[in-house]
Amino acid sequence: MQSIERREFLQQLTAATAATISMGAPRQLLGGEDIEHPTATADACILLWMGGGMAAPDTFDPKHYTPYREGLPVNEMVSTFPAIDTSVGGLKITEGLEEVAGVMDRATLIRSAVQPDLGSILHSRHQYHWHTGYVPPQTVACPHLGAWVARVLGPVNPIMPAFVNIGQRLEGVGEKEELKAFTTGGFFGSEFGPMNLPFPEQAAAAVTPPQGMSEQRFASRDRLFRTLVDQSPHRDRLSDYHQQSMLRSLDKAYRLLKSDDRKAFDITAEPPESLAAYGTSRFGRGCLLARRLIEAGSRFVEVTTEYVPFLHWDTHAGGHETVRRLKSEIDRPIAQLIRDLEHRGRLERTLVVIASEFSRDAIMEGQPGSNANDQATHKVDTVSEMKHYGLHRHFTGGTSVVMFGGGMKRGFVYGKTADERPLMAVENPVTVTDLHATIMTALGISPKTGFDIEGRPFYVTRDGKGQPVRDIFA
Amino acid sequence: MKQFRWFPWLCFLICVQTSERILAADVDFSHDVVPILRQHCVACHGAQEAKGGFSLNSRDSFLESEAAVSGDAAASHFLKLVNSADPETQMPPRDRPRVSKKQTETLTRWVNEGMRWQDGFSFAEPKYEPSLRPRPVTLPPAIDGRHHPIDRVIDNDRTKRGLSLPEIADDATFIRRASLDLTGLLPRSELVNEFVSDTSAAKDERLVERLLADDTAYAEHWLSFWNDLLRNDYDGTGFITGGRSQITAWLYESLLSNKPYDVMTRELLAPQDAGSRGFIDGIKWRGDVSAGQTVEIQFAQSVAQSFLGINMKCASCHDSFIDQWKLSDAYALAAIYSERPLELHRCDKPTGEMATAAWLFPELGNIDPNLDRQERLRQLSLLMTHRENGRFARTIVNRLWCQLMGRGIVHPLDAMQTRPWNEDLLDLLANHLVENNYDLKDVLRLIATSRAYRSRCEIETDDASNADYVYAGPRVKRLTAEQFVDAAWQLTGAAPIAFDAPVIRHANRPDAETSVPHEQSVEQPELSGKWIWGDSAANGGVPPGGETLVFRLTIELPSAPVGGVAVITADNAFKLYIGGREIVSSDDWQKPALVPLHGRLKKGRNDITIVATNGLDRPNAAGLFFDSWVRFENGEQQSFRSDTTWRYSAQPLTGAKEGRLGKVRGPFRPVIVLGNPAVYDAAFSPELRQRFRLTDAGELPMVRASLLKADFLMRTLGRPNRDQIVTSRPHDLTMLEAMELVNGESFAELLSRGAEYWHGRGFESTDVLVDTLFREALMRPPTNEELKTLRESLGTTPDLTSIEDLLWSVMMLPEFFLIQ
Repeated sequence: MQSIERREFLQQLTAATAATISMGAPRQLLGGEDIEHPTATADACILLWMGGGMAAPDTFDPKHYTPYREGLPVNEMVSTFPAIDTSVGGLKITEGLEEVAGVMDRATLIRSAVQPDLGSILHSRHQYHWHTGYVPPQTVACPHLGAWVARVLGPVNPIMPAFVNIGQRLEGVGEKEELKAFTTGGFFGSEFGPMNLPFPEQAAAAVTPPQGMSEQRFASRDRLFRTLVDQSPHRDRLSDYHQQSMLRSLDKAYRLLKSDDRKAFDITAEPPESLAAYGTSRFGRGCLLARRLIEAGSRFVEVTTEYVPFLHWDTHAGGHETVRRLKSEIDRPIAQLIRDLEHRGRLERTLVVIASEFSRDAIMEGQPGSNANDQATHKVDTVSEMKHYGLHRHFTGGTSVVMFGGGMKRGFVYGKTADERPLMAVENPVTVTDLHATIMTALGISPKTGFDIEGRPFYVTRDGKGQPVRDIFA
Repeated sequence: MKQFRWFPWLCFLICVQTSERILAADVDFSHDVVPILRQHCVACHGAQEAKGGFSLNSRDSFLESEAAVSGDAAASHFLKLVNSADPETQMPPRDRPRVSKKQTETLTRWVNEGMRWQDGFSFAEPKYEPSLRPRPVTLPPAIDGRHHPIDRVIDNDRTKRGLSLPEIADDATFIRRASLDLTGLLPRSELVNEFVSDTSAAKDERLVERLLADDTAYAEHWLSFWNDLLRNDYDGTGFITGGRSQITAWLYESLLSNKPYDVMTRELLAPQDAGSRGFIDGIKWRGDVSAGQTVEIQFAQSVAQSFLGINMKCASCHDSFIDQWKLSDAYALAAIYSERPLELHRCDKPTGEMATAAWLFPELGNIDPNLDRQERLRQLSLLMTHRENGRFARTIVNRLWCQLMGRGIVHPLDAMQTRPWNEDLLDLLANHLVENNYDLKDVLRLIATSRAYRSRCEIETDDASNADYVYAGPRVKRLTAEQFVDAAWQLTGAAPIAFDAPVIRHANRPDAETSVPHEQSVEQPELSGKWIWGDSAANGGVPPGGETLVFRLTIELPSAPVGGVAVITADNAFKLYIGGREIVSSDDWQKPALVPLHGRLKKGRNDITIVATNGLDRPNAAGLFFDSWVRFENGEQQSFRSDTTWRYSAQPLTGAKEGRLGKVRGPFRPVIVLGNPAVYDAAFSPELRQRFRLTDAGELPMVRASLLKADFLMRTLGRPNRDQIVTSRPHDLTMLEAMELVNGESFAELLSRGAEYWHGRGFESTDVLVDTLFREALMRPPTNEELKTLRESLGTTPDLTSIEDLLWSVMMLPEFFLIQ
């Protein structure tokens, strides 16, 4: 079934792809047909992105809990939340994630994800790395993971956009240029880039005729346009594929805008109790929207808590309080998303990933031996007020990643970090490259899948070398 | 360890004792080894193929992939696989014939003897070798009276292939194409009428001439091409941390004055001042970067790609599999720029080998690695622009050809080692460039006045024609993001007033007679600042050498200015900061800087800070001069100049870095106004005075999309992120782009303003409105059929809504969106 859909999709794209090839743009590697794609365990992927650096010891990897007190030496501060039980015997996560704790029996928890130390621990570079698989700078514009998926698989439903990015503003926020650098189809071109929906509530507007345009007017404008195309004295050139491709793209846009599938973008179409279950936060609404889009046939949806320098997970001060707020924002929606997908029989074939560019620590920047600047805004040795309480340094030595559904084991923990500082991954470290190989393998894409760009073979995982973490597949 | 290495070697000697013939002489690479490799290996590991990342094209690639250890057959992985009996791992794979025992012995000996390789031999397909030097072209005779040199070459080519010549395009199609290609704008309808009704023979030439003579339109269109090619932008990665600098002002002025390409290149490669430095300095990333992305290696990659169409990205990590360039070539080029000893890194691992500055084509001369950097760069700039460097000329003319014709003569554009579809054509253009003093407009003129360019576009039905491309008319091009937005602004009157590029726009060329606006609505300011300094200059005092003072003026503005300019100079040196950011600096007081102020000042309080330093190490005259005016959106102006209202501090600046001001400490004291020294005023040339006065004055042409930071619409339509060099834009409209045009907010807003604009023009009838729109957008009147459709759709008194839908429908027509 899937392969038939895929063939149709490719047929639709033939002309567009042909044109990119003529420009010396990427083409599938010679011999690429030899690659054996693994059997997919997931049809779609939802990436829940904790932009800014989610501290593992305060979320999914509790360590020794040190409650707030004045005079607390910072080097004694490891976790600022107590551990709580989960639906998996013996598995604990931290207070504030009670709802998620209830669905951990559907999850594989990787506690040993690691990132490279790039000399200066910058969010933008690590986010770029996490989202493209390549450490910037690169000599070509690297595609986002979602763009790879869109390029190789296309959408499940050809009317829907394959790759949607929810919750991240790309204008009016700090480091916007850096965000744009990886939120892109890269060398695949915008055909495979994300449809960006920064505000879930406004997603419906993105597929609704512009303000002041009634359905009727929208349809009559289309009719007028088609009549003018038919009447054009240049219609003798209609066989030209530039014209064909342009008309086909407009047609596809119209098809989505006129189809029932676009209701997927409208979260208000959800029953009130469902809306309520996801909460009113942007992230919660984003999770709901992601579920609807996946159901309608999108392939890869990212939902972010939004990266804004020094906000949200980017806790350089007052970390404890901020993380408490963030957990209250993500806890219910994530659990609801998992329960919903399961209830609708989709969890089995949908991979949901919770990840962040790196973890955090109270005293260590980077990892042992790093020469990275300490970027904490309040450098104190002892906690004398609440804003000192929390994990304010960037830590790349051990990060938690949670995966639900999509063929992963359930109630399974993979890898571990040290119990004493430095909280390095001490068992089964998982690099970004291997994590990507795991996600791609689940989606039925060989980690060796490559395209030729500017004469260079370029692979979905770095140099085609990603190895999926086999142990976490069910 | 050593024992293990020797054991099989001895064993081997014993084994082959029986075969005297083989033992008698060393293995002959060409006769013994090549046939074996060809028979068993090359299909998967040679030429374009490098399965498993292993290419045996060259000895280096063989060794680099760690498949073989020269002199040690036992340690050579490929031989283990050849000898293996394991069907999973053996090579060749199990479904292929085995390497015979005798062949295996030969390979083993060859490895043990040190893998002798024939110099220059490669399993890569025999490559086309482009000549480096210019090549004279003998023009074939004209066919059908088509005497233009380009036509003589192309017509001859097509005739020889038995192909007919494409038909000539109609006037309207041609003027639209030429105007969009050369100036990026839709031609005004009066110009179209004039052109269409002109029956003289030389009208094409006159049109092209006229388009190219519009310096501002030309510069602002080609700015995008050059920004892409030189990866220059107005914001983006690196700018925020001071790791990157713009060359915008320099580039803009270069295009405006049609600076010869060799001069431009020399200024880019060996910058005389900060204006053109940004290109070679690249992007300095914060934190560690891979060895292949240091600023030095970026330099090698950028220089090779932009000017020579050489992809040095492969070779900056390992010897290239796709062309002749080696790791050492990339590092040699990088070493020209490097101020530190540069160690070669292969695939990010140090090799112990140090790079020596050298250039890629030693047949033209070379770099003296012992000279200092500025001199090395100067030598590079001269070698690059050497008249015998045909690659340099061919690369740029090929790019220009592609901009106009939709496909390069060599394609892809950055693989200039590829065989051109017509060598004579490429060389004809390259020679033309060199013979005409590297005048880029001259090359564009040559192309645009050919019948080949004047022909109807090729109808491309599929992609099959690409392998054996032959010209069959220009190829259809999609409007670029900037062309589309400019055209939309032309049709909707919705162009913004403010823009981002730090350039000074002119109504006309400042040196042209016509530059004086006939009527001035606002009094234009004259240069009238005072020369100022600190207390050391009081009462005719002579300031000490090396004295550094921080001057400051704080101003309140009612809104953010949309125009304006400052003139600034100091004896001996200054740095100007606005809002804490460095804007310009100079140490030549005789060349005052003229800087645009739009986008740099905000509503409310602004600090203008100038750090000025006196020269020499003994007392000598010192002075600072500043004069500026700004214009607000409502047309009002305000001036600020150095005078008694300024204050200064003698305290040293702390924490200034990466283009930021740092901390300024007081106390601040009133400045001393110098007794207007005439010697200083001599620095203000009449041209400078005029430019100060007239900049931004009079009727300025429409602000162009190329002058703005990329917004969502432009990005969607393919304006690239310029972290990398980009040499071609997308040729198709994608579904997401289409979504934005069908549905997007910013485009809808444009259309709504456009509807008001067209409604407000008060046409006497629907027919006239439709006729005017078709002429302005499509360069032709509507057909009767179209008119009938639109009469029905618009009614006799079109309302805003129906005009909006009309605008949309016309702008979505392939006829509008494509350059045909």
